[in-house]
Amino acid sequence: MTDESSTTVTGGVLVVGGGISGLTAALEAAEVGKDVFLVEQNPYMGGRVAQLNQYFPKLCPPSCGLEINFKRVKNNRKIRMYTMTTVQAVAGGPGSYQVTLESKPRFVNNNCTACNACVAVCPEERDNPFNFGMDKTKAIYKAHDMAFPMKYVIDMVTCTKCGKCKEACIYDAIELDMQPKTFTVDVSAIVWATGWKPYDASRMTNLKFNESNAIITNMMMERLAAPNGPTGGKILRPGDNKAPESFAFVQCAGSRDENHLEYCSYVCCMASMKHITYIRAQYPEAKIYVFYIDLRTPGKYEKFREKLMADPNTQFIKGKVADIIAEADGGVTVVAENALTGDKIKQKVDMAILATGMEPANKEQAKALGLATDSNGFILSDANGGMIAAGCAKKVADVVTCAQSSTAAALKAIQASRR
Amino acid sequence: MAEGMRVKPDLEFIRYMKKAGGDSLKKCYQCATCSVVCPLSADKKPFPRKEMIWAQWGLKDKLVADPDVMLCHQCGDCTAYCPRGAKPGEVLGAIRAYAYNHYGFPKGLARLASEGKNLPILVALPAAIILLFWFLSGGMQLPAAGEAVDFGHFFGHWDWPWLTKNVFFIDIIFVPAFFFSLFAAFKGGAAMWGQMVAGLGVSSNFRPSVPQFTTEFLLPAVVEIVQHKRFKDCGTNYDRIKGHLPLLLSFIGLFAVTAYSFLRKDFVSLFVGKELQHVLHGPIPLSDPFKLLANISAIALIVGIGILWSNRLRMQDEQKVTATFFDWFLIVEIMTVGVTGLMAEVSRLIDVAPLAYLFYYLHLVAVLMLFLYMPYTKFAHLVYRTVAMAFERYRESGFVKQP
Repeated sequence: MTDESSTTVTGGVLVVGGGISGLTAALEAAEVGKDVFLVEQNPYMGGRVAQLNQYFPKLCPPSCGLEINFKRVKNNRKIRMYTMTTVQAVAGGPGSYQVTLESKPRFVNNNCTACNACVAVCPEERDNPFNFGMDKTKAIYKAHDMAFPMKYVIDMVTCTKCGKCKEACIYDAIELDMQPKTFTVDVSAIVWATGWKPYDASRMTNLKFNESNAIITNMMMERLAAPNGPTGGKILRPGDNKAPESFAFVQCAGSRDENHLEYCSYVCCMASMKHITYIRAQYPEAKIYVFYIDLRTPGKYEKFREKLMADPNTQFIKGKVADIIAEADGGVTVVAENALTGDKIKQKVDMAILATGMEPANKEQAKALGLATDSNGFILSDANGGMIAAGCAKKVADVVTCAQSSTAAALKAIQASRR
Repeated sequence: MAEGMRVKPDLEFIRYMKKAGGDSLKKCYQCATCSVVCPLSADKKPFPRKEMIWAQWGLKDKLVADPDVMLCHQCGDCTAYCPRGAKPGEVLGAIRAYAYNHYGFPKGLARLASEGKNLPILVALPAAIILLFWFLSGGMQLPAAGEAVDFGHFFGHWDWPWLTKNVFFIDIIFVPAFFFSLFAAFKGGAAMWGQMVAGLGVSSNFRPSVPQFTTEFLLPAVVEIVQHKRFKDCGTNYDRIKGHLPLLLSFIGLFAVTAYSFLRKDFVSLFVGKELQHVLHGPIPLSDPFKLLANISAIALIVGIGILWSNRLRMQDEQKVTATFFDWFLIVEIMTVGVTGLMAEVSRLIDVAPLAYLFYYLHLVAVLMLFLYMPYTKFAHLVYRTVAMAFERYRESGFVKQP
């Protein structure tokens, strides 16, 4: 050691975010012997991947990749996992950061066995954010069928503290007076794996997201197709539950647009193509129209595209949808100019899917904590220090790339803790 | 797009586009958002996406023969929704400026009027002409003390009853200028029509006669222009109608007043007695309904152009448009016509001779500029857009489409 610093080197690593990137970074660091604090703001781990029906490269259901990681986290004594926890402040410098964390109360303790007795008696309902508001849960709820940790949680905004759940719970798992906890951890490196959120579709005023139930986002499509989703995996139009006979995919809805997200969100082309496979599995005869500017199908995904384009009932139209009109029958008409023929197309469909892009999930928080970000809010790694960005907090990426960048981030965190 | 088409880009044209406010052109990635959000674009072959790629490729021959370039009213919706900041509205404006220059007759004058650096010559030329005629007329003096200011004596006075000396000089300056500009506009408009017909790529055995052309294509287009239908469809730049409509109506009003004044001074006066002739040759009294129309029109002109002026300033501040000589020349020119005219009248009424004569002189210069440069500057849109709107009807008619 030539440049021994005067600060105490604790060697621990804090991973912020419990999605596929955070889980990967935490496991990679812990499995070589580092102490890891893994914090997640949701009541469950797994992040956006948990919300998908299937994911690339092999179109696995999320249980496939997440479950094994959950198992590894459970079995690894080096990882201390905190759900419903956010970073409040960061002090110190590379080698020794003092990070203030706050855990919000879950109001359900470790006695919970997920027996569901509480849900049966709870009188209050709330929109379910996990399914993008397409169904409801009770005020006490299970985040989703595969939630890890498998513990219920109470939404205190909706809860009236009537106490019925407490009476129904035979395990004494409900603590309605649980308090938030603030605590500090001392770590030598922080991996920011805070992930992404879907760009707010209502901000594209010309796409009229809020004016028709037939207009959904790509993430809503994932939930509609997922067996644990609001329709049990059947792709039905929200609102009237009609089985759609025609679909339009609106690519680049907000991406590659300096009025919204100026960058390409990278995943939306493949996501829409994946959605076509969901639709084909359920509706072999449905008409599908894909409106695009360019199709980005890197590497071996070209084969995937070729296969889909061979389908006579699926049309790919070069031209961005710039207007959507809600129709009286519950469908919508999408309007675009076909740049190859030079004519305007007004295509009436039963359902339009906006391929909305990825936005860094915690732009405001990153700013508040003084993290270095690029002009779009993606976190920049601190080259000589212990602040390392991973996954979609760093740049738009698919799951494979996230896993790679998280492994790299773990390595950098290990190096930072050894300095 | 035809198979195996060879693109021969015109570098000079691309360089021109960059200079004329179309520098954002290269950012376009052909998503076609513009063609959909454009409120004026048709369903078949909409604009401005296709114009954007033609311009990128430097296909100026296609662009100058494209009626859609002229049909664009620069509402600005395309520019507002453009994901790349390529400003299609601005680009089409620059193409229009290029086309006015391209079709301009005579070429030299068209080129002169297209560049800001020639502004001193553009002003000096009419200023010298008016000054020369003032000198030639021998009327080069202010009215004597106690004599009321009468612009009818600007170019001096003679006792020939049929035509006053002043009107004679006004006529020998402005009548040729008017017909010259009318002829130049006709040449340019006809050339564009020919190119647009060639661009249709159909050979028609039937051509409309002049009366057919007028009643079936031209008149309906003019009616639509006066009604400002397309301005009303505009989204982003909707406010512009509040300036453009009073401006257009004021031009019609002032044209009517000029025609009335011509009839009154040069025609009716021939058939009346000496006493009345003297009255008719003098200034039109303020109580005359036509004078009222003239004054209302003058106010409408100044207010209208003022609204357009402030709109453009605001959009420049918001970086929605770039400041170009093409746009500002017309705005300042019309404002000058309005303000000098009104000031000349006011200083005549309050009887301040030097001021009145100065403003009258400036007014004559400004009006002569408007006449002379109409076919080449932005003012030419009144010719070319009208032609394009007539063409739009023509291409949908039985002359082009076989029933």
